[in-house]
Amino acid sequence: MVSRRAAMAAMAALLLAGCPKGKTTVPATGEAPAASGGSPAAAKPIRIAMIAKSSTNPVFLSARRGAETAAKDLSGRTGVPIEIIWLTPPQEDGQIQAQRIAQAVNEGANAVLISCSDAGKVTGAINDAVARGVPVMTFDSDAAQSKRFSYYGVDDRQLGEDVMAELAKLLGGKGRVAILAGNQNAPNLRRRVEGVKSEAAKHHGIQIIGTFYHAETPQDAAAEVIRVGNSYPDIKGWAMVGGWALFTKTLLTDLDPKKVKIVAVDALPTELPYVEKGLAPVLLAQSSFLWGNVGVTKIIDKLHYKKDVPEVVSMDPVRVTSETLGSWSRQLRQWGFADVPEEYLKLK
Amino acid sequence: MTAADSRMDPAGAPSDASRATRLSPIVRKLLRSQQFGLVTVIVFLLILLSVLAGSHIDNATGRSVNNFLNSYTLIQTATDASFFAIMAVGATIVIISGGIDLSVGSVYALAGVAMGLCLRVATPGGGVGAVVLGFVVAVAVGLAAGALNGAMVVALRVHPFIITLGTMWILRGIAFVSSKGDSITLPDSMIHFAKSPLGLGAALYPVPMLCMLIIAALGATYLHRTVMGRHVFALGGNAEASRFSGLRLGRIQIGVYVLAGLTAGLAAFLGSGFYGSVSCVDATGYELYVIASAVVGGARLSGGRGSAINAMLGAVLIVLIRQSIRTLHLDQNYEWIIIGCAIVIAVVLDQASARFAARRLAQGEE
Repeated sequence: MVSRRAAMAAMAALLLAGCPKGKTTVPATGEAPAASGGSPAAAKPIRIAMIAKSSTNPVFLSARRGAETAAKDLSGRTGVPIEIIWLTPPQEDGQIQAQRIAQAVNEGANAVLISCSDAGKVTGAINDAVARGVPVMTFDSDAAQSKRFSYYGVDDRQLGEDVMAELAKLLGGKGRVAILAGNQNAPNLRRRVEGVKSEAAKHHGIQIIGTFYHAETPQDAAAEVIRVGNSYPDIKGWAMVGGWALFTKTLLTDLDPKKVKIVAVDALPTELPYVEKGLAPVLLAQSSFLWGNVGVTKIIDKLHYKKDVPEVVSMDPVRVTSETLGSWSRQLRQWGFADVPEEYLKLK
Repeated sequence: MTAADSRMDPAGAPSDASRATRLSPIVRKLLRSQQFGLVTVIVFLLILLSVLAGSHIDNATGRSVNNFLNSYTLIQTATDASFFAIMAVGATIVIISGGIDLSVGSVYALAGVAMGLCLRVATPGGGVGAVVLGFVVAVAVGLAAGALNGAMVVALRVHPFIITLGTMWILRGIAFVSSKGDSITLPDSMIHFAKSPLGLGAALYPVPMLCMLIIAALGATYLHRTVMGRHVFALGGNAEASRFSGLRLGRIQIGVYVLAGLTAGLAAFLGSGFYGSVSCVDATGYELYVIASAVVGGARLSGGRGSAINAMLGAVLIVLIRQSIRTLHLDQNYEWIIIGCAIVIAVVLDQASARFAARRLAQGEE
């Protein structure tokens, strides 16, 4: 019977993944926290489930690093072991995120930190978690209608307006521009697109030829830019509400900085050559490291220190240009990015 | 001395050999049952996860709770499987007929979006009205999409892989255009229906799991207890022989795609209600999980063999493997590798088994 064989195959395949190393949750920080009053061994650990949109997006890997750094620091400061449980799906899927919130609660997580791929899909799961005594905080992309206690991130509409204002300035207030918009279901990206459009309406010489959605992977994003560029050769500027396309190197050779200007959100190491080359003279960086870092800090404020946390904690974007390339590069290196080009670290 | 005599010891009591022989038909039947292997592995995984999952202190009761063996996780795992499993029942019927349906994920998305848009416009007064309207719309869209697939396969005489590959994109495109990419929130009554605790207590939602069991049972009844179900097996087993025996193959083919659309519509109704919103990207890539569930459940892609119950068990097994990766804190990126390996190994073993059986048959004839 194939079903019997299939079952055996499933068992064999499961064994391919190897055996677990221990019975209990492995601390993501990887090290035992230092004590500062009280024995950490005796203290009840605080387990924070972190669910970003996609584990293949570098900004969320940076957020994870920030969360783990905060967990390590705060473990030392509070004497309570703090564990980050990384439950981010490989691809964006609000339904999977909702399932993982439930899983985190079922397995005894003390709090959830999430960036919502689809606010509508996760709102029910967030409310269930809160009803079962597990506080939820959102970062980057909010679920404003849910019972989450706080949101940390930029004002997305304002960020969209800033992107367009910078682009209009670079283009001298005229030209045809396109919007690179990522996943059409992410509420934060939609608000940024609204901001871009509303700001563009203030510049009579700016004409938006279209808003282009794509799978949020670097290759898909870059391919979309090239496709649109081939269809509209007279594009003068790109307003990118996320930095996906600049995570590849391909646009460095495919686009001419004398003909096209880009203003994009995010400024990770792979995007910095675009600033240097003048193709993206302005990047508006979200400090993605701080998503995790501040998120975990606020959760500990609420759970451990019993402090009141504001419902919205605003993050101000950082303007990265050729003048600030050096200081921003050093900041990235300090946050643990090993791939920052050495030459940028030497800049003023 | 008769054969029966040989099974008695001199004192007249049944010997060990005789007891074994007496038990053997039951044991043999059990061992030969289509579900035995899958159930064995599912039970093995349940035990393995229960032992290795570790435990945590429940915030509310202060008691130690196993991370896996608790009612929340078990029902959540069944719920996660239920949406695939319901679609897998329909997809298995298509596979048994010798076809394939790649569009089930898109049918799910379109049925969900249509339901969301209708509920947004119609906003029926009572809570039950919204649930009924949502159900009717989701099922109607599923049936229509299935009928379209079936009619195109029959009328155009193009391989169903190509037809459903095309409709997979077309239907998702319609969902995108009609929703304008919006995520549409559903009325609370839909959520209350899909997340009704049925007296089990807060945060325990057994409705999708129960629907999965009912639909699998209905699917099994259809396939094994009705004439139409036998016709599906006949078509998949030997289309030419079925034609010569007078079966109306076109009607059977359209029927199986309609059933696949129906199950996708039902899954959309339940899944969308459970998660409380719909969007055009819902169920992206789910067709592969659905087909994988059918194949792991023993369906033969060349047709003629498959089981609705096994498809459900296949879906449960795949979700359990996914769950185990997370519960055991393995690297979650192994999920695709493990599921992929399970499917490939299952199909390879299936083909080897078929070759072995054919060889034995040939030797028997000699």
